[in-house]
Amino acid sequence: MIVCVAVVGHENNPLYLQSFTEADDALKLHHIVHSSLDVIDERVNNPKKSGSTLNETFLGLLYPTENYKVYGYLTNTKVKLIMVMTDLDVKDADVRSFFRRFHAAYVDAVSNPFHVPGKTTTSKSFGQRVGSMVKSFGPGATA
Amino acid sequence: MGREVAESCVDGVIMEMVSAYCNRFYSSKPELAARRIEAIGFQVGHQLSERYTMERPRFSDHLEAIKFICKDFWSELFKKQIDNLKTNHRGTFVLQDNQFRWLTHISIDASPDNVEASQQDSSSPTSNNAAQFTSMHLYFPCGIIRGALTNLGIPCAVSADISNLPACSFVVRIKA
Repeated sequence: MIVCVAVVGHENNPLYLQSFTEADDALKLHHIVHSSLDVIDERVNNPKKSGSTLNETFLGLLYPTENYKVYGYLTNTKVKLIMVMTDLDVKDADVRSFFRRFHAAYVDAVSNPFHVPGKTTTSKSFGQRVGSMVKSFGPGATA
Repeated sequence: MGREVAESCVDGVIMEMVSAYCNRFYSSKPELAARRIEAIGFQVGHQLSERYTMERPRFSDHLEAIKFICKDFWSELFKKQIDNLKTNHRGTFVLQDNQFRWLTHISIDASPDNVEASQQDSSSPTSNNAAQFTSMHLYFPCGIIRGALTNLGIPCAVSADISNLPACSFVVRIKA
């Protein structure tokens, strides 16, 4: 199950964070998301060590904690998309396609002429779209 | 995917935007009008670059990003690529488009006496006005290029040169 998705701007400023748990854990999730930013920096600056394909947007599993796995995605415009999930065995391809759709939703949200670049995304339709993407990801991955 | 809009409508909107800013909102302050038009272009370029770089790996250096602007970005906007790219390898790039689409539909008042005047003396007020009028239309594409590059992490200044129409050169100076 996806616990939370987040968008972080090019100056590591939080742009969007949505948790999908019942509990009041936004602060904890903020902490998890922001500690993953260092891992992203490290991946991007030492591409050889990570062994992944050079400059690919999808960064793969950033780090596992006891309860969560954190995945990252870095766009060309240095916007970081981060996803925190609890599933233990999940296919990379599923995560990759999730991020692609998440990115598309983000692009549509910032293409709104009333959106101010660098400000948090408050668009309701973006929230709904992400919500439905997260819902459809859960059962598909566990089934 | 791929909603389309008629090119003539886009042309019309852009020309009307330029003339509204130049003649109605800031008729006495052309510099201010130019700044506002450039700012609109900046936002457009900023948003377009986000969309058009969606399916590609990240750029490793400035030249790759500039090449992206010349090839894919220009093709998306104008259905053609930049014709010539020059660089001094020190942060200045010159992008030349031999047939810049947004200038091909601009006509300058060519009544007989105007033509005569400009033939007699190229620095006559008429041809100066014409050049100024045309250059107003170039702040928008300059802003688009600057917005796109800034969003890709390359702060820069962009200016346009129209010494031989309808060819048009955009000079990109990357800020160190």
